[in-house]
Amino acid sequence: MIKTKNIEKTYKKPSVTTPVLRGITLSIHRGEYVAIMGTSGSGKSTLMNILGCLDKPTSGQLELDGTDVYTLDDDALSALRNKKIGFVFQQFFLLERTTALENVLLPLIYADNYPADAKQRAKKALTNVGLEDRMEYLANELSGGQQQRVAIARALINDPDVILADEPTGNLDSGSTHEVLEIFSRLHQEGRTIIVVTHDRAVAEHAQRILELKEGQIIENTTSSKPENSGNH
Amino acid sequence: MVIGVAAVIVMVSMGRGAQKRILDMIHDMGTNLIVVNAGRVSLVGGRERQSAIVTTLRPGDAEAIQDHCASVAEVAPETSRKMNIQWESENLMTDVVGVTPAAFRVRNIEIETGRTFDSVENDTARRVVLVGSVIVEKLFDSEDPVGHQIRIGRAPFEVVGVMKAKGVDANGVDRDDRVLIPIKTAMRRLVRTTYIQKIHILVAKFEQLQHAETEIRELLRERHRLRDKPDDFTIQNQASLVQTERESARTLTLLVGSVAAVSLLVGGIGILAVMLTACRERRREIGLRRAIGARRRDIRTQFLLESLIIAGLGGFFGAVLGVLSTFLASTLGGWNAIVSWGATGAGLTLSAIIGLIFGIYPASKAAALEPIEALRSE
Ligand SMILES: Nc1ncnc2c1ncn2[C@@H]1O[C@H](COP(=O)(O)OP(=O)(O)OP(=O)(O)O)[C@@H](O)[C@H]1O
Ligand SMILES: [Mg+2]
Repeated sequence: MIKTKNIEKTYKKPSVTTPVLRGITLSIHRGEYVAIMGTSGSGKSTLMNILGCLDKPTSGQLELDGTDVYTLDDDALSALRNKKIGFVFQQFFLLERTTALENVLLPLIYADNYPADAKQRAKKALTNVGLEDRMEYLANELSGGQQQRVAIARALINDPDVILADEPTGNLDSGSTHEVLEIFSRLHQEGRTIIVVTHDRAVAEHAQRILELKEGQIIENTTSSKPENSGNH
Repeated sequence: MVIGVAAVIVMVSMGRGAQKRILDMIHDMGTNLIVVNAGRVSLVGGRERQSAIVTTLRPGDAEAIQDHCASVAEVAPETSRKMNIQWESENLMTDVVGVTPAAFRVRNIEIETGRTFDSVENDTARRVVLVGSVIVEKLFDSEDPVGHQIRIGRAPFEVVGVMKAKGVDANGVDRDDRVLIPIKTAMRRLVRTTYIQKIHILVAKFEQLQHAETEIRELLRERHRLRDKPDDFTIQNQASLVQTERESARTLTLLVGSVAAVSLLVGGIGILAVMLTACRERRREIGLRRAIGARRRDIRTQFLLESLIIAGLGGFFGAVLGVLSTFLASTLGGWNAIVSWGATGAGLTLSAIIGLIFGIYPASKAAALEPIEALRSE
């Protein structure tokens, strides 16, 4: 599903060059639930943005569902993000003064053709994350946990191949964290590919596999012992 | 933006008003006409104002022009005064104008019913009168007045004819609200003056208009013994009237045009500023949209549309303001202005174009943002 080969990322400033990723080679299969851990500044977000085709590495290769990503032009990358990737961010990134429903509909606007059943799909996605009674609320009228669930519904609307979540619970209390992790587990059980970045081991434990980033390299590649998450290919 | 569009509309509407005035004037007076006014005539607010009474213009001047100026075909002196006229128990105030029979030709006056008066009647100062259509309506209840006796002041006059309706002239004077009598009758029996107010002169050939004007001016200056004093009369010819009109229209156009240009520019810069601010403040939104699949051109289109909408709103309010002030200017201000819907459309189009032009830079800037940088910004 996702394959990287020797990805390196170096930030160059006139005075200093900071190597952040130093040769990441990994492979994530369809249906896997993977957590990426590491200390602050270890390059988790950087790697995540590269996997999500939002950022480009200094060198290395990325293959997504058989496509060599770096042969694509900017428009094709947009289309790829639109179709194959669902993002969930720590800061939610919803449009304020816009209803939950409209926020969820947003990716469909940029799809090749706007489906006739868009509204139904958005409602279904919101129901899926337990927000059937909050559809017409404005984003800024929702709690943090609710906003993050809207963001998850938005990530799901285009039926993506992979969900990339960068610290999805970083801004949430334990209750909301629990709800979000429940949803991820359920999505995983439905066969979705999920990659979660976190520095919270308790969150990472929900995944099948944990990758640990240290000094720009993957130093650990452990399979979680959690029994209920091990049933997938 | 609002002011700019409004200004464009007002400007063009005024321009059209002025143009219509010029055409009206040419139509009314014919192109070969020269008018000599006693005293100085100035244009105030697009209309003629005559200075205080000047007594130096006399019937003899008209005769001299007829006799001595080769380029002149016909001369029609005129004197007029507002007086009371009465029929049976009805009274009204109107312009009583004394003219020679030449005036019917020179000023293109036609007869509806009855007849004109001739030079014998003028020379013998007969009390005959031609009335305008407004008089027929107001004084005679629209009945044919020919043959009736009316009083002008205290003197009895016989109505011999009714003039064809001509409407309001370029100076806003109703040419149907007047009566015509022989000039000699007017001067001897009614007004009792020796001076006249106007001489209308028909020039034989249009090409000689300028020459005729010079001839007339020299003759009058000599007859009035002016030497180095300024003219005590004003000569207007069609060409110079049109010229003055054009000039005042051009000044106006220039003035309003520069106001329009400046305010459209200011509006454009305003849009630029608003959109650049939006572009800066909404970086995260841009990043998010890019992350979920918006292409650069989608972002550009969005921002262009937004500046178009802002400009369009500005243009719309400007159009409303412009049309309103044109109406006000023509009804209250007495300006000749005709609302130009073409200009209204052009103003709207112009503001849309400005919205697009000044929107291009911010929109391109928004589109050029790298998604990752946009997302990471605060
Ligand atoms: N645009 C940039 N320019 C320069 N350096 C950068 C830039 N973005 C990130 N870095 C550096 O790259 C390193 C890794 O950043 P990254 O955001 O990937 O860390 P992280 O593992 O996500 O940390 P955290 O847990 O705090 O989110 C940091 O040292 C950071 O300073
Ligand atoms: Mg991070």
